[in-house]
Amino acid sequence: MHAIERYVRPGSLEEAAEILRAGNVTVLAGGTDLMPQTHAGRVKFQSVLMNVRRVPELRGIEEHGGVVRIGALVTITELRESALVRERLNVLWQACDHFASDQIRNAATLGGNVCNASPAGDTLVPLLALEARTVLASKPNGSLETRRIPLDKFFSGPGRTLKKPSELLAAIEVPLPPQGFVGEFYKHGTRPGLDISAISIAVGAQLKGKVLNEVRIAFGAVAPTPIRAPRAEAVLEGREADAATLEAAAQAALGEIHPISDVRASDWYRRELVRNMLKRVISHVGQL
Amino acid sequence: MSANCDIEFTLNGVKRQLSVPAGMSTLEMLRERLGLRGTKYACGEGECGACTILVDGLTLNSCLMFAVDCDGRELQTVEGVAASEVGARLRDAFVANGAVQCGFCTPGLMVQASHVIEHNPGAGAAEIRRGIEGNLCRCTGYKKIIEAIQAAEQKNG
Amino acid sequence: MGDIGSSLIGKRIPKLDAPDKASGKTRYIHDLEAPGALHAKILRSTEVHARIVWIDTAAAKRLPGVHAVITAADVPWQRPIGVAKDHLPLKTDRVRSLRDEVAAVAADTEEIAEEALKLIKVHYEPLPVLTTTDEALAPGAPQLHEGHANNVAMTFDYAQGDVAQGEAQSDVVIEDVFRLHYVTHCCMGVSGVIAEFDPGGSLLLYSNTQVPFLHKREFAEMLGIDPGRIRIIQPPIGGGFGSKLDVYPFEPIAIFLARITGRPVKLLFTREEEFLASPTRQPVVLKLRSGCKKDGTLTFRTVETVHDNGAYTSWGATTPFVMMQTVSSLYRVPHCKYHTAAVYTNNPYAGSFRGYGNLQATFAVEAHMDKLAEAVGMDLLAFRLKNAQEPGEVTPQGMHFKTCGFKQCLTTAAERSDFVAKQAANRARWRDANPVKRGIGIASMLHVGGGAKIYPSDGCGTILKVDDFAHVTLITGASEIGQGSETVLAQLVCEELGLPLSAVSVVNNDTDITPWDVGVHASRTTFIAGNSAIGAARKAKAKILAAAAAKAGVPVETLSLSQGFVFSENKKLFELGKFLRGLHFSDRAELVMTTFYYEPPSKHQDKQFKGDVSAAYAWATQACEVEVDTLTGIVRLLKVTGAHDVGRVLNRLGIEGQIEGGMVMGMGYALTENLVVENCTVKNPNFRDYKLVTAPEMPEMDISFIETMDGEGPQGAKGVGEAPAICMAAAIANAIYNATGTRIYALPFTPENVYRALHGAAQAPAWGKAA
Repeated sequence: MHAIERYVRPGSLEEAAEILRAGNVTVLAGGTDLMPQTHAGRVKFQSVLMNVRRVPELRGIEEHGGVVRIGALVTITELRESALVRERLNVLWQACDHFASDQIRNAATLGGNVCNASPAGDTLVPLLALEARTVLASKPNGSLETRRIPLDKFFSGPGRTLKKPSELLAAIEVPLPPQGFVGEFYKHGTRPGLDISAISIAVGAQLKGKVLNEVRIAFGAVAPTPIRAPRAEAVLEGREADAATLEAAAQAALGEIHPISDVRASDWYRRELVRNMLKRVISHVGQL
Repeated sequence: MSANCDIEFTLNGVKRQLSVPAGMSTLEMLRERLGLRGTKYACGEGECGACTILVDGLTLNSCLMFAVDCDGRELQTVEGVAASEVGARLRDAFVANGAVQCGFCTPGLMVQASHVIEHNPGAGAAEIRRGIEGNLCRCTGYKKIIEAIQAAEQKNG
Repeated sequence: MGDIGSSLIGKRIPKLDAPDKASGKTRYIHDLEAPGALHAKILRSTEVHARIVWIDTAAAKRLPGVHAVITAADVPWQRPIGVAKDHLPLKTDRVRSLRDEVAAVAADTEEIAEEALKLIKVHYEPLPVLTTTDEALAPGAPQLHEGHANNVAMTFDYAQGDVAQGEAQSDVVIEDVFRLHYVTHCCMGVSGVIAEFDPGGSLLLYSNTQVPFLHKREFAEMLGIDPGRIRIIQPPIGGGFGSKLDVYPFEPIAIFLARITGRPVKLLFTREEEFLASPTRQPVVLKLRSGCKKDGTLTFRTVETVHDNGAYTSWGATTPFVMMQTVSSLYRVPHCKYHTAAVYTNNPYAGSFRGYGNLQATFAVEAHMDKLAEAVGMDLLAFRLKNAQEPGEVTPQGMHFKTCGFKQCLTTAAERSDFVAKQAANRARWRDANPVKRGIGIASMLHVGGGAKIYPSDGCGTILKVDDFAHVTLITGASEIGQGSETVLAQLVCEELGLPLSAVSVVNNDTDITPWDVGVHASRTTFIAGNSAIGAARKAKAKILAAAAAKAGVPVETLSLSQGFVFSENKKLFELGKFLRGLHFSDRAELVMTTFYYEPPSKHQDKQFKGDVSAAYAWATQACEVEVDTLTGIVRLLKVTGAHDVGRVLNRLGIEGQIEGGMVMGMGYALTENLVVENCTVKNPNFRDYKLVTAPEMPEMDISFIETMDGEGPQGAKGVGEAPAICMAAAIANAIYNATGTRIYALPFTPENVYRALHGAAQAPAWGKAA
């Protein structure tokens, strides 16, 4: 384990960004990923450990002008207990309900889940389907700056993102989906929560009668990062979820995923699951 | 070795001050530095719940929490929970309902169960099952644990 | 306490140790402090199979805080351990698996010990690796152990009748190969030990062992000291399930370090180490050939198994003792032949695990009961009832079923689960459009319920003291491992002495105090230690009543003990404490202290494996209802209906707990647990990917007790510890068939494996293959 030479607890976003600018910082939020990763040697501590829990700008769930801003420090439990999330971002709420265990939901933060960038990260898949974006803060030239990256551009590989070491994930912004937008999150496994999904699927769409509009499909654990499936979406757009359309969407999706074999599932099985469960999830959404 | 940090927090109602290495887990601090051995190590990765404690009224896996992060917060371990009114009710219910076998998972379950009862009074069996999904038990098959938590709830009502 | 004659038997008695455990007060081995103790860590091999060329410990020894770094060279007096004495605690010139112990460190802290491990350099010269039993048995395969040509560690052969004749008489003959997978115990408390020598060289060992008296002898031989100079204290154990029946390398290693440093040494595993280096239930490939006549009469059974022994031999190799009993005697089969070869590979080695081979044997036998019944067009229940054992039967293997509630178990479980009607209804839905299917399956088991005489003695000793205040101290050789034995033993003593439970303390964890017991295994403690406790209590009672009769001048037959009094007929004669003090402080002072040793009337099997090895046998039938999602392969266990012949219920709360816990453990074996070993490497040494059943997955459980009142059992009871885990996988397999029409011959029924079976995937799974 590399030595932590300094432990710091900034009280503002400015201060946090200043510390990051100086470099060699490990960011600590909920700790639920950082502790086992450092313990197992998968992640090495930098010389500065920065606990961001006291940064007020990283908290809160608010809606302004059609955009829901979720502070990076918001825990999964806070999301799960938020009426706004439950009512307007229900597909995200479902993922939070299926997230690990109570103890972990109480500690784990949305920002941590996003920065950890696991291909199987539970919240990432619905956030992709909700067309969320990351808000990154930094202080390159003496003043606080932010930039936004759409989530579907944010992940660059397993555990890797476009966030620079000098940047702090401040929040996730989710544009409110249109009225009538419904969604479903599916996580494959035998347990409701405490499971790393072999695959996960989020599907959202606006229903006009039985016709699907604004279709958004995202997958977890079938590629190096969580992904959107634009070709499958295009197949469904403006259509009813009849058997032929479902099959066509599933076939399109199979062309968009790149699953691997690991201890949790083979690539073959992941493909079978995507085909079978995408159809099931879409037909559920079509009936909501 | 990591830098030491001075922290101050409330543990089972008592103010504590100590200096801990920045990389230390709260579980290790509780067991090795403060001698509170009721909180158990069984996986060290947040997968089993044996080390569950309450922090500011919410349960966490203490193996995943950095000890430095305890600064300014209020902790309760099984020792503290057992001394509370809810804890006494739960203890009696765990005993009377046969929810304890080898007992190694029991402290974590006691803390988690107290949280389920306090946070969601009147939770039904399904909610209790979800409430303790992060606590592994190898002996009981969970049935008697769930019955015990329900019994403790009912005594409240 | 109630009126005279009131009884604790069959009541719901809370465990005596539960209040402390539920308060976080119980001190497990992990929680004990030995003043001045050093912390030990083990360096394990990084090669699956290799020659050790050299080990350099110099840098590790120089690390501040390190007190000792040892390798085999430092303990030339170490001796081979394990069931077959085929490995040294610290390996000398060769490692045969990734868990192998190469060096060990004792340091001031665990962190320093871990740092020191990183400084030890080992040069290996890799040797060819045997990843499967097929590879190990192949001609020309490298030999893993001297004296074991073809890498066969042990073989077992049993025969009764003439299987050729049986086959000739058969109208139906079927043959299948079943594949069982690796699982491990996952005790919540990880392995640990504290060793300490006094200046005179006597060893004090804090140990989680289930067999303290056997271990004393092994350690004494290894240390070259008198066994009388070894004291083993067992702190409360965080789960056993058979995992603590053998001597494992970490225990002698801690002892070596303690001896070399002259300091107490504490050694605890991490969870990862627990997955890598504690025992397993081994993979088995089992070929079963069975037949029956048109009328459903079983004719013969032939079983051939290959056990993956792993790199060394522990109790796992000897599970055929139990497996052959299920093959020969669960149902009446006139002709049987059984063969096992336990084969060395470079895999993790196999220990004993709750059920002891019986899960594997029952899985195969009960699948064939379903298939044979279907082949002759008989109802699954009727077919089983036709062949089920009955009370009084002596099987060709020599097992004598003095009590046998098998048929009641079958009919009770079937009725309470509505088995026959649901079977038919589920089959009728095989072809309907809904991809989610329902199924129900049934399976039964036979297991030792009155000890198992695998050592020359299967006994247990008791010392019982009734003090001046009528408080009883029950000192028993039988350890408590969470199963509730101390509570049941206290109950049995109270029953004899007419005392409340609060009047009894149990001492069961210190070999300097407790009398001999063979150990906690084979579901034997309630039966054997129970009879022993009753024996000691009866002697105490006789002594008290004789003295009371003499004092009161009444015939002893008129006296009894109840509610803390000596009764004469229905009248309180003496308050017991006062009477005992009178006995003590009299001219002819006397204390009431008794001893008893119970040896069950069972027999060692002969060389042909025939003989009545247990004083009683337990029976059970379990019906499992499942939901199978054919689009994902996910199998959900909805309900288990179990009927258990337990002889008699002693503690209803405790026995329910044993059965519920066993059912869920058996469910985990069938559905979720899978120790993935690929190229001899454990791929999932954590609870994230080794999946124990969690609370939301728990099925509904309906348990019925069949009370056959065994004549030899304590108050009529038989052993139950292992029984509930045994037939779950078999019943679930039968349920999946009933749901889908697909029979799956390989465990576990994890979603991908089930999906592959249902959809006939040609491609073999890349991961998680059984055997």
